[in-house]
Amino acid sequence: MEVSVIGNPQTKKIYRTELTYRELGFRFGSQVISGESRNRVSFLTHQSSKWKEIKIQSSPRSVRCEAIVSDQAPFLKPTPKSRSLEGVKLFVGLPLDTVSDCNNVNHLKAITAGLKALKLLGVEGIELPIFWGVVEKEAPGKYEWSGYLAVAEIVKKVGLKLHASLSFHGSKNPEISLPDWVAKIGEEAEGGIYFTDRYGKQYKDCLSFAVDDVPVLDGKTPMEVYGGFCESFKSAFSDYMGNTITGITLGLGPDGELRYPSHQHETNLSGAGEFQCYDKHMLSALKHYAVSTGNPLWGLGGPHDAPAYDQQPHSTPFFSDGGSWESQYGDFFLTWYSSLLTSHADRVLSVASSAFKGTGVSLCGKLPLLHQWNKLRSHPSELTAGFYSSGGHDRYEAIAEIFAKNSCRMIIPGMDLSDEHQSPASLSSPESLLAHIKTSCKRQGVVVSGQNSAALVPGGFERIVENLKDESVGVDLFTYQRMGAVFFSPEHFHAFTVFVRNMNQFELSSYDQAVEGDKAKTMSIGSGTTGAASLQTA
Amino acid sequence: MSTVPIEPLLHHSPLRHTSLNGARTFLPSSLNLRCHFTSKKLHSIGRSVTSGNSLGFLSSERRRSIAIRASSSDTAVVETTSQSDDVIFNENFPVQRIDKAEGKIYVRLKQVKENDWELSVGCSLPGKWILHWGVSYVGDTGSEWDQPPEDMRPPGSLAIKDYAIETPLEKLSEGDSFHEVTINLNLESSVAALNFVLKDEETGAWYQHKGRDFKVPLLDDVPDDGNLIGAKKGFGALGKLSNIVVNPDEPGADVQEKGKSSSGSTKEGKGLEEFYEEMPISKHVAGDNSVSVTARKCPETSKNIVSIETDLPGDVTVHWGVCKNGNKKWEIPAEPHPEETSLFKNKALRTRLQRKDDGNGSSGLFSLDGELEGLCFVLKLNENTWLNNRGEDFYVPFLTSAALPVESGAAQVSGKTPKTNQEVSDSGFTAEIITEIRNLAIDISSHKNQKTNVKEVQENILQEIEKLAAEAYSIFRSTTPAFTPESDLESEDEKPEIKISSGTGSGFEILCQGFNWESHKSGRWYQELQEKADELASLGFTVLWLPPPTESVSPEGYMPKDLYNLNSRYGTIDELKETVKRFHKVGIKVLGDAVLNHRCAHFKNSNGVWNLFGGRLNWDDRAVVADDPHFQGRGNKSSGDNFHAAPNIDHSQDFVRKDIKEWLCWMREEVGYDGWRLDFVRGFWGGYVKDYMDASKPYFAVGEYWDSLSYTYGEMDYNQDAHRQRIVDWINATSGAAGAFDVTTKGILHAALQKCEYWRLSDPKGKPPGVVGWWPSRAVTFIENHDTGSTQGHWRFPGGKEMQGYAYILTHPGTPAVFFDHIYSDYRSEIASLLSLRNRQKLHCRSEVNIVKSERDVYAAIIDEKVAMKIGPGHYEPPSGSQNWSVAVEGRDYKVWETS
Repeated sequence: MEVSVIGNPQTKKIYRTELTYRELGFRFGSQVISGESRNRVSFLTHQSSKWKEIKIQSSPRSVRCEAIVSDQAPFLKPTPKSRSLEGVKLFVGLPLDTVSDCNNVNHLKAITAGLKALKLLGVEGIELPIFWGVVEKEAPGKYEWSGYLAVAEIVKKVGLKLHASLSFHGSKNPEISLPDWVAKIGEEAEGGIYFTDRYGKQYKDCLSFAVDDVPVLDGKTPMEVYGGFCESFKSAFSDYMGNTITGITLGLGPDGELRYPSHQHETNLSGAGEFQCYDKHMLSALKHYAVSTGNPLWGLGGPHDAPAYDQQPHSTPFFSDGGSWESQYGDFFLTWYSSLLTSHADRVLSVASSAFKGTGVSLCGKLPLLHQWNKLRSHPSELTAGFYSSGGHDRYEAIAEIFAKNSCRMIIPGMDLSDEHQSPASLSSPESLLAHIKTSCKRQGVVVSGQNSAALVPGGFERIVENLKDESVGVDLFTYQRMGAVFFSPEHFHAFTVFVRNMNQFELSSYDQAVEGDKAKTMSIGSGTTGAASLQTA
Repeated sequence: MSTVPIEPLLHHSPLRHTSLNGARTFLPSSLNLRCHFTSKKLHSIGRSVTSGNSLGFLSSERRRSIAIRASSSDTAVVETTSQSDDVIFNENFPVQRIDKAEGKIYVRLKQVKENDWELSVGCSLPGKWILHWGVSYVGDTGSEWDQPPEDMRPPGSLAIKDYAIETPLEKLSEGDSFHEVTINLNLESSVAALNFVLKDEETGAWYQHKGRDFKVPLLDDVPDDGNLIGAKKGFGALGKLSNIVVNPDEPGADVQEKGKSSSGSTKEGKGLEEFYEEMPISKHVAGDNSVSVTARKCPETSKNIVSIETDLPGDVTVHWGVCKNGNKKWEIPAEPHPEETSLFKNKALRTRLQRKDDGNGSSGLFSLDGELEGLCFVLKLNENTWLNNRGEDFYVPFLTSAALPVESGAAQVSGKTPKTNQEVSDSGFTAEIITEIRNLAIDISSHKNQKTNVKEVQENILQEIEKLAAEAYSIFRSTTPAFTPESDLESEDEKPEIKISSGTGSGFEILCQGFNWESHKSGRWYQELQEKADELASLGFTVLWLPPPTESVSPEGYMPKDLYNLNSRYGTIDELKETVKRFHKVGIKVLGDAVLNHRCAHFKNSNGVWNLFGGRLNWDDRAVVADDPHFQGRGNKSSGDNFHAAPNIDHSQDFVRKDIKEWLCWMREEVGYDGWRLDFVRGFWGGYVKDYMDASKPYFAVGEYWDSLSYTYGEMDYNQDAHRQRIVDWINATSGAAGAFDVTTKGILHAALQKCEYWRLSDPKGKPPGVVGWWPSRAVTFIENHDTGSTQGHWRFPGGKEMQGYAYILTHPGTPAVFFDHIYSDYRSEIASLLSLRNRQKLHCRSEVNIVKSERDVYAAIIDEKVAMKIGPGHYEPPSGSQNWSVAVEGRDYKVWETS
């Protein structure tokens, strides 16, 4: 029996116009183990965010009340244009290869020293990428968490929060592949389980969205496998859940982002990318869809007139104004193509939200910021990656709705990118795309977290600060990517320190004047040592 | 009689001196100052000395059972307590108690013969004493020192740059604590006075005389700034002492007005008198003790039993509180309290530890409620003496039962993985760091609560952060596989090069260092150089490096004073401008020598220390770094090494950077300089250099980052990666906005040529072993400059082998620099041929070098497949394949070919 006590039928949410900046943070978990009843009351708020989530949960079979309160009423216009950054929590990502594929913690000393430095700097927490290919490497259901547990323990002891990113994808640099047993299946399976482009080339770092519910993995569907992974994670890290671990990001696709791997050749991003619908399962789904919509001939393959990876969008008719993308066929294909993306997000997030329900951990998913060519009407980069909405509607709306449904935060990268640094030829506008996605989230009541892009860009820190100050959609958590040699290089680390200080209003420059008058006083406190001062004798 | 107080220049003295009202009060100095103020040497990191005789008394129910602590290990504890006790915390903290040793410094001037005198300086305290000294010559004005003439320097003296000598004090006799040094004086020399300070290398402390250098006048007319010793006027300036009020009750006060001096017999000798003076001196001597803390959970009572024991002598009081509810604030636990406990201001408890029966130290036992999270404490020896844990409170965490499984979970983790060795040491290491962090965190939060002394805490935290980040950086960098700086860095800097004038020229530059150490002597160097313009251009140089142009305290220009006064010993500003114009006319770019690390002051502050500036940039002592005791700066700590002869500029100050940028731009505009040679860039962070380069947009810039190569037992190591890494790091910090002199290559050439070890010239990857092998476009190769060669000869290139050096650098990638003296020597024609070859074959800073031979007696390489070269006595001929090689230049032990 499940009863929704308060709730708007669609989103189970009510909006209240009230600005709350208080931190509510209590959670009592009374586990009465009499019979099978579990009672749990959790009041959850993200610090200084505008969200409150009140859950009263009482065994899955009995009553569950859930109220999510947000003050983001559409008509509430905040008066000041920019807001203080004090409430923004800053996270820093650990290196992708923090734990090696034999479960060894790489550069442990560097990480420990680095974490300590970050703690002192006032950073809130750490993002830890956890790879499927490391944990469940050898055989299905055989999980090895030791390396990641060791990292979590260090993070905990340093006093930082931890954000775990469960990555169901592989990485090229550093090279981390999907689990060995999955790769073996991939080689043997006919037609493949991977995304495939029209040349038949497979993208082996992520499973195709079309196999989500197909029992291709030793009789299990990928969703079942992901679910098992989440459950195993939850029990392995149960001591950290809700205290050290405050957030979990679910990998939704290539590089963890919700998209098709439309750009496989990272070296050449100038093209629009290609559709990835040529694996056996995709093609049969397409065929099925075509038949069911009464256009069986459209189900034989993807668009024939889309440009190749390294071709400019306009070099073939598909993306041009009045081109196939605007035709009835285009709408048919793109609707189907994007629906797979949306339903994939829904599946993964539901699996996760049922696995992590009641742990006090917030769930997140990451979107890409496909800003290349987004000044073109057709938005080719977004189309090949799977973002489309029929009839010119908001192409992010459906996605945001899925996130809202699963009470999931959305991570948007590229908050360091500014239009002025884009090459004019790429017709790119990261700023406007970011604003667009943020608006979609706001409409659906989805909380947005920020990230920077992978590469260092000029003026990046300034841009991040501007984005965080933007009052219209409050970003209350930002994850900076990523720790490593470059991060700690004198030049970069200095810039980062300045950035953190700007966020924390960590006043340093003013102490020269400020302390002048205090000097005598401070010196006289039992000989002016910190030790004595903390004695509380003064 | 005269009284001479001496103050050891310990760190916080600047603060005392700057107090505004005339009455200066000495505050009690505490023992744990070291973490915050003293030089790092004092707190010899990682000294975890466990005293061998520390016996631990542990008991749960007031019954004594003995724990014996092994002296060699931190953790091995053999104990005979009941099994049921669960040890939840056990740590041995080293603490440093600082005792004050008192003694005296004496200065004696004695006549040996007519004009031969002897000055002895001695000290009665043990230590590694160094006399840091220099002289003033007749007619010198200002307070800067000069180096004494060679014959005055006692054996074992070491020259510190060009202004001072360091001579160690020798023990008078074995077993005697007296140390002394004697300097012979000849009154016929033009030395007017001798200046010195005493330095204790053990502690890093400097001992000055009334806040100034000691000054022994040898002539009558030496201006008295209040710091003369043995002046025959008998210290009429007693009044000067009155501004130092010493409270004799303060035990920490280092200065006592008990100076005794007895003038010896008076003899006439150029007005000089013999004298002997003694001054009391006190020094903090560190004593190492330890505090060992064991916490255990008593399962019967579920109490936490903490045992604190120490081998500190005397009465020891524990000043403590407990932590609960995740709050790191000190709180008073519920009663009952241990014996001998008193409440202190409702904020903490004080418990006196029981003296141990054998008299060696004391111990105490605390039984605390099981719900508590931890115990914080510091130790109090007497009213003014507190001991803490390296600047933090001691903290004993009581792991709650919920946290315990995690602990054991982690242990399992390391147990499961096979790499036990690594894991064990790692986890030991992390445990240590974790305790540190915990303490730090408590400290921070308690400070936040109290809002006291924010500056100090922030400074400490920032320092700590920097240290940690540097550590992380160095490990990450070294563990990041496939570090291929050349390709990486090269590709990185391709982009900015398009945007800004990168300071790295076209890649085809050949530098000429247009002066040597003597060039200032003629007084018309600019004019002399102008006459050589055509000649230098026809030799093939494209860049000329001019000497430092500003007004300077030293004639060579490296002690700048008024940066906007460009009249120097080399000529006037107008002559300089003309010279630049002249060289531009013949197509040679001109580099100015910018001395940014330090600047000589115009005025003294109220303590008589030269740290106030005049001229257009009339900075005050905020522009001076705080960590050079000589100059009492009020800026931040230096971001690099200190150069001790002059106030080091604090580049972290915005106003300083703004002024420097303005100055550089002015020099570009006004003089017409095209770029910079940057002096002593080790002294400040490379990031600031980037800032300056971005502002002044030089065509070419090169920094002098000169430090020592690595040697083992006097033999230069083959692998100098660490050395070149430091230079590359600096270049990196400037974002590649400036290149750097390739000191590594020079050093390796020294060893290779001198000892016939040409195998050194190829690194393990088959690349050149210097900076040029890693980042050729930023390496400025050279074999000699005004410091290493010329009349200074600090690090002279092996004699007679200079041409081998030039055959190397003028054919290899990097930007070569040729020293002026070599152009005007017998090597001239050979250098000229090499220069013309480099230009003819269009070799440049990124040329490909292919090392074909690096053996004991010969090194050979082919550059860009069009120039072949060999150096060394061994045999090499380029391959007679498709290419047709002809000899281009040939000389003693080197040969260069080119394709025709």
